[in-house]
Parts: sequence; structure tokens; C-alpha cells
Amino acid sequence: MTRRDDRAQLPAPVFVLAMVAIAFFALPFVGLLWRAPWGSMLGVLGQESVRTALWLSLRTSLVATALAFLFGVPLAWLLARVPFPGNSAVRALCTLSMVLPPVVGGVALFFSFGRRGLFGQYLDQWFDVRLPFTTWGVVVAQTFVSMPFLVITVESALRQMDRRHEDAARTLGGSRWYVFRRVTLPTIRPALIAGGVLAWARALGEFGATITFAGNFPGTTRTLPLATYLALETDPQEALVISLVLIAVSFAVLIGLRERWLSGARAALT
Amino acid sequence: MSATVAPHTGLSAHVGVDLGDFTLDVELDVAAGEILAVLGPNGSGKSTLLRALSGLRAIDRGRITLDGTVLDDPAAGTLVTPEARPVGFVFQEHLLFDHLSALENVAFGLRARGVRANDARSSARRWLDRVGLGEFADARPSRLSGGQAQRVALARALAIDPAMLLLDEPLAALDVRTRQDVRRSLREHLATFPGVRILVTHDPVDAYALADRVAVFEGGRVAQVGTISDVTAHPRSRYVAELVGTNLVRGVVADGVLTTDHGAHLVVAADPGPVFAVIRPQAITLSLGTDPTSSARNVLTGTIADIDRLGDRARVGVDGPIPLVAEITIGALEALDLRPGDPVHAVLKATDITTYPV
Repeated sequence: MTRRDDRAQLPAPVFVLAMVAIAFFALPFVGLLWRAPWGSMLGVLGQESVRTALWLSLRTSLVATALAFLFGVPLAWLLARVPFPGNSAVRALCTLSMVLPPVVGGVALFFSFGRRGLFGQYLDQWFDVRLPFTTWGVVVAQTFVSMPFLVITVESALRQMDRRHEDAARTLGGSRWYVFRRVTLPTIRPALIAGGVLAWARALGEFGATITFAGNFPGTTRTLPLATYLALETDPQEALVISLVLIAVSFAVLIGLRERWLSGARAALT
Repeated sequence: MSATVAPHTGLSAHVGVDLGDFTLDVELDVAAGEILAVLGPNGSGKSTLLRALSGLRAIDRGRITLDGTVLDDPAAGTLVTPEARPVGFVFQEHLLFDHLSALENVAFGLRARGVRANDARSSARRWLDRVGLGEFADARPSRLSGGQAQRVALARALAIDPAMLLLDEPLAALDVRTRQDVRRSLREHLATFPGVRILVTHDPVDAYALADRVAVFEGGRVAQVGTISDVTAHPRSRYVAELVGTNLVRGVVADGVLTTDHGAHLVVAADPGPVFAVIRPQAITLSLGTDPTSSARNVLTGTIADIDRLGDRARVGVDGPIPLVAEITIGALEALDLRPGDPVHAVLKATDITTYPV
């Protein structure tokens, strides 16, 4: 009853435009599902090239997520807790890659950490480390674009948490490090999970920076998104199947976040 | 618990803290085994004092010594971090850790101090039993009532066997009925605690029920310190007077007349010199009319500011040369038909004014 009443109150043009928006998001998936080769699905997924790309994507995106946690949580803590001059400029810099076209990010990485890059030449000369066109290059590109998602989620949780819990823990005898591990991190757990999942999903879907910085070599740098793009020209069926896999993953992430972690994060923060 | 007998000599603190345009500057000595209540309005520096004593805020001037050990002395460059101080802290809103069970909360301090998990847990279990919450050991704090959570917080603070216990308005966040339960529980556990106890509160009832001595804070300074009966009988600040529900006037007596700081006069029976004068609201009579004739020596003309009905009595605020609160019966209030804004005479006898030197 209330539903119908609400809908009746919505101005007609708003309602129509909202419906167009929904259709705009729904129709591409309808098209994809319509053409999906359900019968040969398992066969395509079993192909060597697809399995290699899938395995590479899983490995690199998980390592990128781990790196995002390792460096992103301390960065978020610094941004949230330490009022240094230029704090907001540093935050803007560290989250720039969220809004930057990924290809631009890839170009920037190439000119800095490429073999002839400003820093890359020394990595090569001194440590014999070459990032471009290697699997580590993929990881670097993915970390570059995905870490900001973790940083801003964790930073906002750190800002909003009740710091008096940390005070209480210190009066009980906890050192700063002990309190950080036993009180701060568990308190912002929902944000850590939400930020980690968002970062992982972003790393899994990374395309532009990867292909620019790491290239497109099967087995070492050809991740699922790259394989999809390539397959569209050679074997559209394969592209369809990989797309479906990526869609399924994204959907699962979104639903999981909605149902559990985002609401948990909200509850923890209020 | 541990059988070591620490030489409890108590707390000696001179605390100077600058917080923007607020300055806290107080000196307190609290003997071991004593309970000091710190009373004061919001923003008088009560909580800042506790933060300084616990080490959460380093002091800018002064010196804090507990049982002979210097905890904070900026001049000498000594500062003991909060985790290294033998101080238990109970906060206004229990501040239990939501991700830990009640038992793990109580064990937290022992674990942080390096006690092995099993030993910490069994010790925590004894403390939970002692506050009567043994059956809630596995409960998350969100499952506990406000009163239960505050008792767990008390157990958590006591479990580390501190030499000083700080309680920051531990009852303020509780509803009236729970407050009585927790107050009883506090009284029981405070009584057996051998060290220094400082209770910050804005409720004089807590001070009456729990403390030996009271320090009244105002504007970052100690306005008055003494036993509770002394402080309530001889208030030295408007805040304390309002807390105990009486009128306080400050002025100088000459020839049996008290002249207030604002130039108003009261006839009193007192020796010359600067004094505080206390006038019980029940001693004040209100009357209407142009010029009431009475044997009383003081007739102050003013207007009614506000009327509070309390059961069969009413407290009437009178704005005049000396602002006063008079307490009259509801019958008298209705017979006189008093309303805010009405002109009125406050009549009081010189012998009903108690004075004591400033």
C-alpha cells in the first residue's frame, strides 16, 4: 500500500527518467546474457589461455590487495590522525589515481619506473629489478589504482571512531602499538574489510594502467580484463564467458558489501 | 591477588594545564585510602585533571607524585606514559571494547601488561564474580545493560591492581534506578580499595554517598576543599550554594550592615570585615503591597524571575539588588497569586543570615 502511495507521489518526469537510467544499466547485461554460450561455458573456461589469465588475475590482485593493506593502513592512519601542514594535499595526491584515467597512470608509471624511467633506471642498475612488462609490473599497476579505495575507507573510519576507547586501553597498560593492534584495528574491522574488498575488485578489473605499464604477455601480464579485450577480436565467445565471470565476481562483491560489511561499517561508525 | 605491601603514601599533585584559553591550575593532596570527590560545573577542569593524573595529557606546569614516585614533572623532564602508571580509570560511558567479551575486557589490562592468557582470564573471572556479573563473562558489551557495563568497566579498572583509581562521572550516563544500583556497587568496591580514589561528579548525592572529602572546581581552580558537611554548611562559591540549594551573598560588613560587591545592603548580626552570608530560602518571606511593615530588618524589593514547583513547595527566584531564591508553600504561592514579572518584597530577619569570614 505505502509503496503504491510513494510511487503516486513521484513526479511523472522524474519517474520516467529514473526508469530510463535503470534500463541503461540493465540492458547491457541482458544483451550479454542473451548471447552467452551457456552450453560451451565450461569448455571455454577450461581453455588453457583463459585458465592462465584467471590464475594470473587472482594472484596479482591478491598480492596488490595485500600491498594496499601493508602500506594503505599506515597511510590512512597518518592522514586521519597526524595534523601536518599539507595533509589535505597529500591526501589528494594519494587518491588521485581514483579519478585519473588509468592509461595516464600507466604512462606515469612507465616514465618513472620503466627501464629508462627516472627511478626505474636505478632499480635496474642497482638492484637488477625490472618492473615494466613483468608480473610485478602488473601488481604495481593494480596497487597504484586500488590502494586509494582502501585508504579513504579506512581513513574515514579512523576519523569517526571513538578515540576514547584507545585512551581507555592505554590507561589499562597498553602501549601505543598494542592498542593499535588490539583496539584500533578491531574497531575499524568493517572498514578494513569493505576497503579491502573494494581495492581487490578494483585490482581485479584493472586494464588501462596494466596494459600501458606491463604490456600484454600471456602468462606474465595478460590478466582477465586484457584477455577479454583481446578475445573480443579473435573469439567473441571467450570474451563473453570471461565477462560473465568478472560480472559474477563484481556482483558477489557488491551484494556481500551491501548486506554485511557496509551496514556493519555504518553501525560501527554511528 | 598479589600480596606485596606497597607503601601507600597517596597522591600529591600540582597540575597546571593550558588548553587554548582555558587554564587548569590546581593543587591536591589525597591520602591513600581516602576518597576525594571533585565537584564542579561543566568546563571547570574536572576531566582535564583526570586526564593529567592518568597521563593521557602531559601537564605543562607542576608535579604529580603517587606513592613517592614522580609521574609527571615537566621542569625535571620526567613523564611516565599512561600505560606505565599504576592508575585505574573508569570513564563516564563505560568505554568497553565492543569486539571483546566482558571477560576479555576485564582481562585486557593484564594481557597488555604481559600476563599469560590463562592467568589473565582466571583473574578476570574472579573480578567479574566480585562485581556480581560472573554469568555474563561471555557476553559482548552491547548485550549488557548500562549498569552492568559500568560494573564491568569498574572490574576492568580494578583488575590491574592500581595504586590510584580515577572515576570520571561513572554514574552520569545511567538512568535513575540503575544509578542507585551502581552507586551501591561502587561504594562496596571503593570501600575495599586501599589506594587513592578520586571521583569526579557534578551530582552532590554521589559525593555524599561515596566521598570523604570534596574539592570544588570552578574555572580551572579549586574554589573550595573540605569535608562534605563543611563545604555544604559554608559554601564559598555561588556554584556550591546552588548545588546545596541555598543563597550565597558576598560582601563587607561595617556597623552591622553588609554591603555587597554590587552595592546593595543587608542588615546582619556579624562582626566587621569581608564575609560570606548564607540565607536559607525557607527563611525568606515574600509579600506584596507598597511598604510592608514587619519586625524583619531587611526588605528587598524586586521582581519575580521564575517559579519552580516542587511538590507542596515552590522555589521563587526574585531579581533585585540581591538576587535571591525564596521557598514558600504552594498555598502561599496561590494565595498571593504570584507570576513571573510581578513586583514583590523579599523579607528576611537579620538573625536568619549566617555569616562567616571570606
